[in-house]
Amino acid sequence: MPMRAPSPTKFLRLIELLYLILIVLSFYLLFLSRTGEAHTVWEVLHPAFIPVFFIVTSLLVAILATSEKASYKLLLVIVHSILVHSLLSIIFPVGDLSGQQMVLGRTRLVYENAVLHGWPPWQVETVQSQIYQFFRGENFQAALSVVISRMCGVDILEIHLFLVPVLWGVFSPIAAYLTAHTLTKNEKLAVMSSLIISAFPYTIYFGAISVPNSLGFIFFFYALYFMLKNLESNDSKSKFLMLAFSFISLLSHYLTGIMSLSLLILFLAFKSYRSEKSPSSTAKASLLISFAFCSSLLPLSLIYLRFFRSGTFTAFTLDKLCQLPLEESVGLFFLGQLIYGFDLKTVFLVVVGPTVALIYLAHILYRSRSRKILSKAQISFLFAAFLLMLVDYRILKLLMEGLPLNEERLWVFRDFIAAPFVTLAIFGTCSSIHSVLKARSSPTVSSGSLKSLSKSNAIRVSTLLLVINIVTSMVLAGWITFSLTAAYPQVGPLQTTWYELEAVRYIEETTDEKYVVIGDIWTIFAGEVIVGIYNPRAYYFVEYDTRGITLFNKMREEPSPEVMIEAMNQTGTDTTVAYFIVTEPRLGTDEFNRVVSLTLENEQLRSEAVFIFGDGKLYVFSYRKQQGV
Amino acid sequence: MQLSKLETLIAQDSKLLFTLTSYVLIFMIYANVSILQSSILGIVASSLYVLINATFLGHAFFGKEAAFFRFMLGLLSLVMLIGFVAWLALIIQNLNVTWFTLVLFVVATLSSLLNRRMKDRNANESAKPN
Repeated sequence: MPMRAPSPTKFLRLIELLYLILIVLSFYLLFLSRTGEAHTVWEVLHPAFIPVFFIVTSLLVAILATSEKASYKLLLVIVHSILVHSLLSIIFPVGDLSGQQMVLGRTRLVYENAVLHGWPPWQVETVQSQIYQFFRGENFQAALSVVISRMCGVDILEIHLFLVPVLWGVFSPIAAYLTAHTLTKNEKLAVMSSLIISAFPYTIYFGAISVPNSLGFIFFFYALYFMLKNLESNDSKSKFLMLAFSFISLLSHYLTGIMSLSLLILFLAFKSYRSEKSPSSTAKASLLISFAFCSSLLPLSLIYLRFFRSGTFTAFTLDKLCQLPLEESVGLFFLGQLIYGFDLKTVFLVVVGPTVALIYLAHILYRSRSRKILSKAQISFLFAAFLLMLVDYRILKLLMEGLPLNEERLWVFRDFIAAPFVTLAIFGTCSSIHSVLKARSSPTVSSGSLKSLSKSNAIRVSTLLLVINIVTSMVLAGWITFSLTAAYPQVGPLQTTWYELEAVRYIEETTDEKYVVIGDIWTIFAGEVIVGIYNPRAYYFVEYDTRGITLFNKMREEPSPEVMIEAMNQTGTDTTVAYFIVTEPRLGTDEFNRVVSLTLENEQLRSEAVFIFGDGKLYVFSYRKQQGV
Repeated sequence: MQLSKLETLIAQDSKLLFTLTSYVLIFMIYANVSILQSSILGIVASSLYVLINATFLGHAFFGKEAAFFRFMLGLLSLVMLIGFVAWLALIIQNLNVTWFTLVLFVVATLSSLLNRRMKDRNANESAKPN
């Protein structure tokens, strides 16, 4: 019986099936890597994960190059994107240490109904502080997480952990697609752009942690898209959506809100400039002034943040420029601070994509002088927005001090704009290679006309085309895999351990009275994710509260019931039980042994219950307040 | 094909059938949070609630987009709306079970109203003589 060759659709379905199987395998490998005691994901990541991820990404690039429906391709990109952003949430039991745990600590207050009469639950001194408290991003995220958690009947911890990885994984590829599609009207290029967004380490990292800023980035991306859309169509719906997304990005985080506002003003300046048929020199000058004003909005707002938030001391300075050697200033000017122990390879990854995008943007605009191009207004606006990010980053980096956030966060905005242009550059390069091939292999290289070539020529040209397609897939997949390895920190503190969580949970489940816990900052992080911060029933001091630090140091030096009673009295409620937690990996073996033996020497503390977790790595000492104390 | 029919059916919302379904689902979610506390029931009821209201918002704001983008952008708008209304509830009072239920109710009502308003507007536009 003669064998029939499978149709291209069947072959494509087979490739898609293989892709989905490998994606499931990748998630499974992440679950296998799950651990309760590690510093970074790289310590415990299954050795097969990266090779499988590379193959998965290569397959995805190959699928994106086919004529499959754009919505199917986007679904595949979304699954890939969720995988890219889920490493921290799947591998560590309570996600990345610090930032997102602090947010969860405050979200728990809302979830556990510890907030009863509006936010904030504590006394606020000034009207400005009250306004700041209303608009801080944590409120919006807390509200969203609590509603989703209650709707699904799932604990707030799981919802919080996966909130940003899932929202980012789903919505940032769509935003990248829509942006690129608005600019080019090319579906294939737009879908590729939705994948290229995962080739920037900073966007991967911010999409992996559930903090308000990450949520704000997502809404900012859509605000930007609707600005482009409005430049194209000028309809009232896109105007409303542009304003709505900008407002929600402000509710999510002030950084994304201010950047949205800057771009909104720039957008208005662009619209007014475009409305003139032949712009006068005054119009050009006013566009430049608007650009300067928009660039200054972020630095100035960070300065004036002090009126709303106490403890902010941001100021302009020339000290950095004066004190640094010339080469370091130049390095900072071009690359920025190399955080997380970034090496040269990572610098290459962080800088090369946006540089390609900037060069390509400039190239398109230069070309547009001599011939008409599609979406010139949008491209000019994005070029100005890109420059605005670069200018703001340099101002924050070199001319300001005491910033409440690190300047590298601006890279995420920059990468959002860069993604479609990097894709355009890749497509441009590929089509140039195809043109060269066309010129050298007469008459043409299209598969239909291969039949007209001699057998040896047809084989040669087919092989060349195949090699180009495979190489392109592998280079892109390699780039994304490499970005993934650069995105997640290579060094870091010990993440919240299983025994810290077990101890905190045990205390919560077995204590009926109101209690307070004295511990180091790591214990506080563990407490935050289980019971929240400043919870009147289960009290953990907030991370920066000096009272908590002082009490812990007192207990380390001279453990006594008096310190425990002092802690109980500082909670502001009728707390009757206090716990003191020490952990070996946090204190170091010698110090841990010293503190444990010193505490056990105290007769009153020894006579109370002592709990041991993690095979002796964690001790919990307790003290119950006596009547009349 | 079946999915697009379902989408049209929801967006038409004849006799407010899907708006009322949304309210029934809110009651189920409320009962689940207060008494049953089942994740399965919660996820099923919430998924249906999200499906209905994301379709409403998708039709209201993104009627001209392709079906996939209409639903996904509707979903994002729903996330935004839930977040915004819940944020208001939080800063005014709190997000206990009663206020949470109120948030879902407000979001469902707003989505339904927006859907109906846009439907009427689109109908008026198509009825206009060329």
